[in-house]
Amino acid sequence: MSGKSILVDTSKCTACRGCQVACKQWNQLEGTKTKNVGSYENPQDLSGQTWKIVRFTEGKNGSGKAYWHFFSEQCRHCLTPGCMAEVEKGEIVQDEKTGAVVYTPKTKDLDFKATLEGCPYNIPRKNEKSGVLVKCTMCLDRVQADLLPACVKSCPTGAMQFGDRDAILAAAEKRVAELKKTNPKAEAINADDVRVIYLVVDPKKCYSLAAGK
Amino acid sequence: MDVSRREFLVISGAAAAGVAVSSLGIDMGPAKAYADEVKLKKVKSAKQSTTICPYCAVGCGLVCSTDKKTGTIINIEGDPDHPINEGSLCAKGAGLYQITANNPSRLQKVLYRAPNSDKWEEKSWDWALAEIAKRVKATRDEYFIAKNKKGQVVNRVEAIAEVGSAAIDNEECWPLQAMMRALGLVYIEHQARI
Amino acid sequence: MTNHWIDIKNSDCILITGSNAAENHPISMKWVEKARENGAKLISVDPRFTRTSAVADFYTALRSGTDIAFLGGMLNYIIENEKYFKDYAANYTNASFIIGDKFKFEDGLFAGYDPKKRKYDKSFWGLKRDSKGVAERDLTLKNPRCVFQLLKEHYSRYTLEKVSGITGTPVDDLKKVYEMYASTGTKDKVGTIMYAMGWTQHTVGTQNIRTMAIIQLLLGNIGMAGGGVNALRGESNVQGSTDHCILYHIWPGYLKTPKASQATLAAYNTKYTPKTGDPISANWWGNYPKYSVSMLKSFFGDKATKKNDFGYSWLPKLDDGVNYSWLNLFDTMYNGTIKGFFAWGMNPACSGANANKNRQALAKLDWLVNVNLFDNETGSFWKGPGMDPKKIKTEVFMLPCAASVEKEGSITNSGRWAQWRYKAGNPAGDSKPDGEIMTDLMNAIKKVYAKGGKFPEPIVNLKWDYTTKGTFDSHKVAKEINGYFLEDVEFKKKGKKFKKGDLVPSFAYLKDDGSTSSGNWLYCNSYTNKGNMMARRGKDDPTGLGLYSGWSWCWPVNRRIIYNRASVDLNGNPWNPKRPVVKWTGPKTKWVGDVPDGGWPPMSNAEKTKRPFIMKPDGVASVFGPGRADGPFPEHYEPLESPVAKNAMSSQFNNPAIKIFDGPMDPFAKNDPKFPVVATTYRVTEHWQTGVLTRWQPWLIETQPQLFVEISEELAKERGIKNGEPAKVTSARGEVAAVAIVTTRFRPFKVAGKTVHQVGLPWCFGWVTPKDGGDSANLLSPNVGDANTMIPETKAFMVNVEKA
Repeated sequence: MSGKSILVDTSKCTACRGCQVACKQWNQLEGTKTKNVGSYENPQDLSGQTWKIVRFTEGKNGSGKAYWHFFSEQCRHCLTPGCMAEVEKGEIVQDEKTGAVVYTPKTKDLDFKATLEGCPYNIPRKNEKSGVLVKCTMCLDRVQADLLPACVKSCPTGAMQFGDRDAILAAAEKRVAELKKTNPKAEAINADDVRVIYLVVDPKKCYSLAAGK
Repeated sequence: MDVSRREFLVISGAAAAGVAVSSLGIDMGPAKAYADEVKLKKVKSAKQSTTICPYCAVGCGLVCSTDKKTGTIINIEGDPDHPINEGSLCAKGAGLYQITANNPSRLQKVLYRAPNSDKWEEKSWDWALAEIAKRVKATRDEYFIAKNKKGQVVNRVEAIAEVGSAAIDNEECWPLQAMMRALGLVYIEHQARI
Repeated sequence: MTNHWIDIKNSDCILITGSNAAENHPISMKWVEKARENGAKLISVDPRFTRTSAVADFYTALRSGTDIAFLGGMLNYIIENEKYFKDYAANYTNASFIIGDKFKFEDGLFAGYDPKKRKYDKSFWGLKRDSKGVAERDLTLKNPRCVFQLLKEHYSRYTLEKVSGITGTPVDDLKKVYEMYASTGTKDKVGTIMYAMGWTQHTVGTQNIRTMAIIQLLLGNIGMAGGGVNALRGESNVQGSTDHCILYHIWPGYLKTPKASQATLAAYNTKYTPKTGDPISANWWGNYPKYSVSMLKSFFGDKATKKNDFGYSWLPKLDDGVNYSWLNLFDTMYNGTIKGFFAWGMNPACSGANANKNRQALAKLDWLVNVNLFDNETGSFWKGPGMDPKKIKTEVFMLPCAASVEKEGSITNSGRWAQWRYKAGNPAGDSKPDGEIMTDLMNAIKKVYAKGGKFPEPIVNLKWDYTTKGTFDSHKVAKEINGYFLEDVEFKKKGKKFKKGDLVPSFAYLKDDGSTSSGNWLYCNSYTNKGNMMARRGKDDPTGLGLYSGWSWCWPVNRRIIYNRASVDLNGNPWNPKRPVVKWTGPKTKWVGDVPDGGWPPMSNAEKTKRPFIMKPDGVASVFGPGRADGPFPEHYEPLESPVAKNAMSSQFNNPAIKIFDGPMDPFAKNDPKFPVVATTYRVTEHWQTGVLTRWQPWLIETQPQLFVEISEELAKERGIKNGEPAKVTSARGEVAAVAIVTTRFRPFKVAGKTVHQVGLPWCFGWVTPKDGGDSANLLSPNVGDANTMIPETKAFMVNVEKA
């Protein structure tokens, strides 16, 4: 299949939050005022100023041993974006070459609620000042200049990879097979429907929000 | 190796982690017009230089892009050529932009707090350095220990102490300890001790 | 580090303990991950399940302050199951040496202990030596008085049950870790240890590391690719600042600061120049006078002459037996006898153990000079919580300094790589690079002393010409550090000639007669007539081991893996041919690979060879370490503040050689029911150290906005604390308000038959900003230090946690 994809292998993520901050740096987004609500996760959600967020989920597995899973969430750049359902005048476009789903300045005229409801992953947000809808851009400007998206570049462990969709899908399949040896529930979430593919060791365990409806 | 002349594109090369990035064709379609290229254009035309992260001791490499007209740093990201980090950065390195002069919280003035005062006063460097020199001399001269209780020659000062720093360059560390030792200090310590 | 960051990829088993690499050295996990892709296993041992544990192949917990018990058990396992690499241990360490008759160990104490002075007479730990001073040895390791046998006896006491009862680690978990790690004792497998403050910040800190060093030596992991003893240092240039010795007890290049009893340079050099009777020990410190004299020439230039002992008497002498380190410094300041203080790029009001004592101490000063990029708790101490500015007379000068990207110079990473970096932008506002500030300040001081004053010689004579066109020039300093030939000279044996003013190519050319200068002999070779070696960007990796010998420069003389002569057998062939660090190819082509630890032929050439551990007078590594203040073999003692009433290993509860402060500001808990919970401190990825730089950055403070305390679900239930609720943590020294993070990642320990809870707090917050962020966790920690280094025990102390 054509276009680009991002592979997010959460089993390799150490939550260094380089990706979360690199996104802010490249896009010159603001740091918002936050509180510690009993977690390392902050901000608590995506927003007009936060387009990439590392989710922290912890618990105890069957044997009583702790786990701590990290999920660096961003727009999935769906193949058939649900957020585009209300689009009439090219407010949201899908880049032909990469498949990146891009929110143009015209999105300020869209019905935000409807747009948000169309997204299975609760991604679109609004820039409060301009009213424009915002989210991860797949760093299309960088990609077009033959650079990696800022988040992918920032990742030290190879938890994030970027490339042609075919190659990414193949890498995902290979890695899931490896992971299944020690984690039988390992899965590439909705790999056929999205360009940003998350590999998780156990989707039901605490990914319910991030895994989509 | 005059890295400042290198194009941003070359320095921040497209090295994907083991998966090929194909070059993109010419005809980009309507999306291209909306990819906000303002930042990229600015960064491409800026002066590039390399640096090493000032935080932990892994020693990751970064590339700084400095606007040639204003002299301000407009972007900092990983140096893909650096063999240790290969362009990657943790949250602190990724956010290095906010340590620069772009951060309005940076101390910009010499400040002085007078005895018993509850506020800072702005001062000039010349004033401050001259005043500090006066105090160094006054304290050193008053409390200088030429010989210890055993009558041994020690030529030291115990009434002035110095701590710091693991966050300054080697070429600053060496003169700093030389200076403090030349003043006769023995209470010389820093982060390595804790 | 004996090795370096990229080298981690060559390991088969990575033990991360006494550190949290994923948290505090996140990019190191790139190389850990590469090793794992090649089949390596990652073991995480930590009181708390951390971001490192989250990606480990095996995790288990231990109670803070019990690392020697844990590792002692591993040593016992290695010896009992014969997992050690015998040839390596016999030939390259002092495991074969015969210990003198006076040595013994009984009930927690070694021979020679003076309980009144809390000190050991180390002469009781001497080795048996012949008339030439060469140690007697039994290479079969069977002699009952040889180091190996006494080591075996010592650690036979660290049984699985004993260790489990101390650490709280289940026996099965201990076995698993020991099995996994001990598997690296074979020639083709190598293990590495990545440790940090989790080991050093204890009253037994030095011995924690000693225990691991002994393990690594027995397993034959030192000098090997993928092995070594690897300290993850905490600051971008703490390696450089340590090398240049901004520390009371050492001069640049790890020379010693002179004592009052060493009245002359000759006496000083004699005292610190070790001798060896062993003809095949390189005894590299035998070159000591060349380094000390060259350093003095860098200090005082032409003013240092043979006649005036090269300015030796101009530099301060320590009183014999007196320790001027951090904890003593602040104790002295608190007692009012320190009048002036430079807190230069440091925030002791937050970073120091028992931070409140430091804060009170600052109020006793006449004047304080604080150099930093942002406002901080030290410079602004006078308006901090509990302070009344009207009552504080301290004058404070806050000098704004430049950020790293606003100046040019080098910094040295944990792997000893000195890397040059460039100026990208101008300093903010009136701020200046530290180099400029100190240049101008010393010039101002020189000016006032030019008119006279107490003992002006060292000040007036200090060589201080590191400017170009009036501005601080880091290149000039870098060259001074490297060193110059001060006269034309010829080295006939080496067939080399140099002119006055040439940069010295390596420390092998430094002399003790005043004809060479070198600010720091270790860095001699870093900036030569070939150029600035630290600025190199070569990407060749011919060995495939990731040495990158052409990228920047490392000390010593660009040797990337030190002690690499131990990576080969007696014939100079790599123990592991798949990962050859160096290899002897014959008398003509000699060594190939990394810079060898000396060019002498391998040990099969009995005449011309040198033993591999060239910095030790005996030429071998110390399994038995008679130089330590608290014993030649590591032994478990409880932290000063401990949850148990007895030390399970002996009647000696705490480290017998530590200094215990006993002033009004030095309280500590002794089995106090008010403080029943073990506490530790740590860092978070998103902040750096006290947060003095990172708390001012919106993108970072957003991710970690407030002080928290991580507590187990069990303890939370006991105390009625819910996740996210405000909590109060108290110790004998202070109190902090923190948000409770109730987590599965702390579990109660079963120690000495009872339940012991542990909590932890990050120490990256301070009252200056953000206003609701909380204050420093160091308000809780104790000002007691390691017996050798006096590094404070901020990693294990007792607290109480309550709902706020």
